[in-house]
Amino acid sequence: MIALYLVAVIAVFAVIRATIEKNTGRKLPYVNVMNFAIAGALVMLLDHPLSLVAAAAYFVGSTLEANAIASTYAGGVRRE
Amino acid sequence: MLDEILHILVAAIIAWILFVTVDIFFKLPEAGGVSGASAIARDIEVGGGALAGGTMMGNIVCSPDASAGTLLAACGVYVAGIPGGLAAALMVFIGNRICHDPGYAGTTGAVLATFIIYGFTQIGFAATDFIAGMVIAILTIQGLSHAHASRLLARLWRIRQ
Repeated sequence: MIALYLVAVIAVFAVIRATIEKNTGRKLPYVNVMNFAIAGALVMLLDHPLSLVAAAAYFVGSTLEANAIASTYAGGVRRE
Repeated sequence: MLDEILHILVAAIIAWILFVTVDIFFKLPEAGGVSGASAIARDIEVGGGALAGGTMMGNIVCSPDASAGTLLAACGVYVAGIPGGLAAALMVFIGNRICHDPGYAGTTGAVLATFIIYGFTQIGFAATDFIAGMVIAILTIQGLSHAHASRLLARLWRIRQ
């Protein structure tokens, strides 16, 4: 039970840090911490075997989004 | 209650050592896997950090690495024991391919973590201890001080080299 509350507190902490941080490059690692915390909390909250798939789908999806945001921030792909 | 807190702290230390070792073994601090990872590394360096450590942090943001593998393996072991952990490893492998990551740090980390976490569940630990432990471990790298974390990772990377 403590594990769930601890993870939830870390998620909120990460969101606050991400909100305060102005630089996009340094904002993303804070969002990354939040994604870890949400994926972990999902599995502990949902008492179902498929919660693992939900957590993995959420995590991979949010990582791909962070990847896209960071790569766009870096200048994106140059097309001829 | 005190027991659970102690277990979570021990799990955090084990998870930290595991994912940092696997990531550095797979040379995550060497180069950004995608341009976004290098951009994050540059911003961390501008903020007073070290470039190699920042590159590893950027790579962690941009693709599921060993830390993500450890987290999802802990979730998998919690849901269905060793088969659950291995299913998580497969999903991390697919996640790496989706994120254009050519490496195997995430998959390796997930498989190793599955057996380590299962071993600890046999001696009184709960898989949830490792879920919370991994979240604490990633918090210390990505969520407290980017400058200090990146310098520490860069120092470990120099030892690897």
